[in-house]
Amino acid sequence: MDTYASATELIYPEISEIFADVFQHGGPLTRGTSPDDVPRWDSLQHIALIRALETTFSVRLSMDEMMEIRSVGDIERVLGRHGV
Amino acid sequence: MSSSSLDMPRPPPTVRGASAPVPEDRIGEIVDAVIAAAPECVRKRVLLPAIDWALVPPHKVNLLLSSLEQAGLLLPRWLAKPLLLAGHTLSGRAGDALPGALKLLARLNGAAGEPDERDGLAASLKSLTSTPGVDADIAVALVRRLVALSWDDEALRFALAHAHSVPQLLRLAGGVFDQHLASLPLLRLRVSGSSTTRTLVDALGPAFAVEGWRADIAESSFGSALGDLLAPPDDVDALVVLLDVDGLLATDWRHGAPDVGRLAAERADLLGEALQSYASHASVPLLINTLPVPSGPTAGLLDRQHGLGLRRAIDAVNARIVDGAQRSGRVVVVDADQALSALAARDHVDPKLWYYGRIGYSAEATHCLARAFAEAWQIVRRGPVKVLAVDFDNTLWGGIYGDDGVGGLACGEDFPGNAFQALQQECLRLKAQGLLLVALSKNEESALEVFAQHPGMVLKADDFAAHAVNWQPKADNLKRIAEDLNLGLDSILFLDDSPHEREAMRRLAPAVVVPEMPDDPAERPRWLRGLTATWPARLTAEDAARPAVYAARRAAQDLQARSASFGEYLSALEQRLVVRLVDDRTLARTAQMHQRTNQFNLTTLRLGEAEISALADDPKGGLALVGHVTDRFGDHGLVIAATVDIDGGEASIRTFLMSCRVIGREVERAFVGALIEELASRGVARVRGVYVPTAKNAMVRDFYDSCGFSLVGDEGSGTIWSFAIGETAPPRSTYVTTSWEM
Repeated sequence: MDTYASATELIYPEISEIFADVFQHGGPLTRGTSPDDVPRWDSLQHIALIRALETTFSVRLSMDEMMEIRSVGDIERVLGRHGV
Repeated sequence: MSSSSLDMPRPPPTVRGASAPVPEDRIGEIVDAVIAAAPECVRKRVLLPAIDWALVPPHKVNLLLSSLEQAGLLLPRWLAKPLLLAGHTLSGRAGDALPGALKLLARLNGAAGEPDERDGLAASLKSLTSTPGVDADIAVALVRRLVALSWDDEALRFALAHAHSVPQLLRLAGGVFDQHLASLPLLRLRVSGSSTTRTLVDALGPAFAVEGWRADIAESSFGSALGDLLAPPDDVDALVVLLDVDGLLATDWRHGAPDVGRLAAERADLLGEALQSYASHASVPLLINTLPVPSGPTAGLLDRQHGLGLRRAIDAVNARIVDGAQRSGRVVVVDADQALSALAARDHVDPKLWYYGRIGYSAEATHCLARAFAEAWQIVRRGPVKVLAVDFDNTLWGGIYGDDGVGGLACGEDFPGNAFQALQQECLRLKAQGLLLVALSKNEESALEVFAQHPGMVLKADDFAAHAVNWQPKADNLKRIAEDLNLGLDSILFLDDSPHEREAMRRLAPAVVVPEMPDDPAERPRWLRGLTATWPARLTAEDAARPAVYAARRAAQDLQARSASFGEYLSALEQRLVVRLVDDRTLARTAQMHQRTNQFNLTTLRLGEAEISALADDPKGGLALVGHVTDRFGDHGLVIAATVDIDGGEASIRTFLMSCRVIGREVERAFVGALIEELASRGVARVRGVYVPTAKNAMVRDFYDSCGFSLVGDEGSGTIWSFAIGETAPPRSTYVTTSWEM
């Protein structure tokens, strides 16, 4: 039946796309995924991640938030705070 | 923090029953209701923007489109965009009025990947490829779609063309881009700076790829700009130095007022000396940027004049850089203010990136600078174009010489002619820079006299090193001129207000540089200034003298010989001619055409509404026809008309005229064919036509001859032609699809 399909399961499915793009990371993502699990997530690529989050979700992240993000769960929390 | 996995599905809603409605079904119902009320929602611009069209099935989108069409509403851009981004196709005429990029996406969404579709879309893609400023979302969707269709070349070309403004396109093009990159000539770069250069290094690769180079980049250690200037590398093809305000001019205010000013001056001196040393020792070019305007002053109102002013310190540094460039051609300066002019000063730097990793520029600013470095390299390596070939009507002046006459052309001190005069000034500026001007116009040759006769023209006929003012395809004319001047087509820039002429030139002479010129004449002068293809690598006295050298070689050439591939261009236009008997809806326009048309007009009889409707309303005694022309680029409207007197088996064409918008595309052949067939169906056996020469209609002197009429009389006042129906086949055009509409 053609009802308006139900929403997808992930809160921000774009995050896996960003991880594939920025870190070439194709593995599954959990809220616990951190720099330890993603080889290319170093301090410089962290900038690229922040940049991708800012453009994808049209938000401006602060310096504190930039430091706060240390896992996928942190990303969700920060984006949630911005009302994304 | 929750430890649950993101990819674990959330439990489905458990409530289901008559008393408690299921939320998802409710939303479905609401969406259905909104679609049912689509015309109202479009007029008020409500509700529809809230719908995620990726979740709406295609047949409901069709329902929406047809209800808009029935209500006589065009699909607005704000609705078309999310529909197309969600991958929907547009049925019927829904996409017709959309701007280029969205229209193309609509066609791509509907494409199945057949080769003929690919050919059909090639031209629209190409013109979009040369249009700057495509919406980023749409650009991404276009490249995704092209990749999905495996149209690799198109995906790559489009991605390269827009990578400067939408860098992620190159990643989307993926493997095709990597292959392309491998085929490009290698360029070894060393990058150093006054702060972190890593983000610039990342951006330089794609930026140089866009200009046709595979950059192999070695990054110097942090803050080694001065070191690399004093001990230039010799194992690379160029050194790129990225200077930033915070890195170069960081200040310790503990030093107190006098010392702060002195220290800033010392730093400028140090850089100046390093540049001098580079200029005298280095063997490879240096690409270095100036410091951009600061986002905030350190001395308030006095920032430019006081020793404590940041702006004053920046100006001092920039003066040293410019000085270095004046001393040596190996020092190439990228003006940061120019490179970053699309951004507000406060967006040049992202403070958190500076504090986080001493990154001196924001991501956007870094891309702009990378692009400017790559363009600078290209300008230095290849040099600017050598020829500016320019159209007349609605390019160098407003209006159409053949229709409006010299007096009716807009060019002068006053609006709107001043915008055209300003463009002529820009042409003169480029001439002074050493470019040759070539006049390339579809006109009677007498159009050249406009430059002497019209008081507002700042260009004069002898400013042109060569000219081709005739009715031949412009590409043929230009090839001939290029041969005469002994220059390659790739050194020619072509300016024309007509998308058709630009498209024809791209097809027939692909090497010629054909930018998309702004539609608004007011935008054109500054647009031309920013066109990097014209930017000089160096200005020398010899450049300025070059036009004179070529002017001596100018010769009036008879340019004929139609290119075989001109036919290919015409076929690709997909021209449609709809022929109608003149009625109330078309009478006014038909009469207006009779008053206005001068060039393609066989008898130049200025029939009014009454005379035309007399012929139209009497099927036995007369015939009045109009033709509506559309093609892939758009709707030209009613552009061709004819009136005929009928007397039994004899008919005589009283008027036959066509707007110059569609000249040279065989529309007239198709139309005269339709006219003859209509007369045949009314029992006419012989059609008479007359050509009455005027000062402006020489272009149709041989029209009846080319359509199979035979000459039966030649009087002083004109020539008389006759067509025997049944003996001669009516003319047809393979490039125009003709149909009738009653």
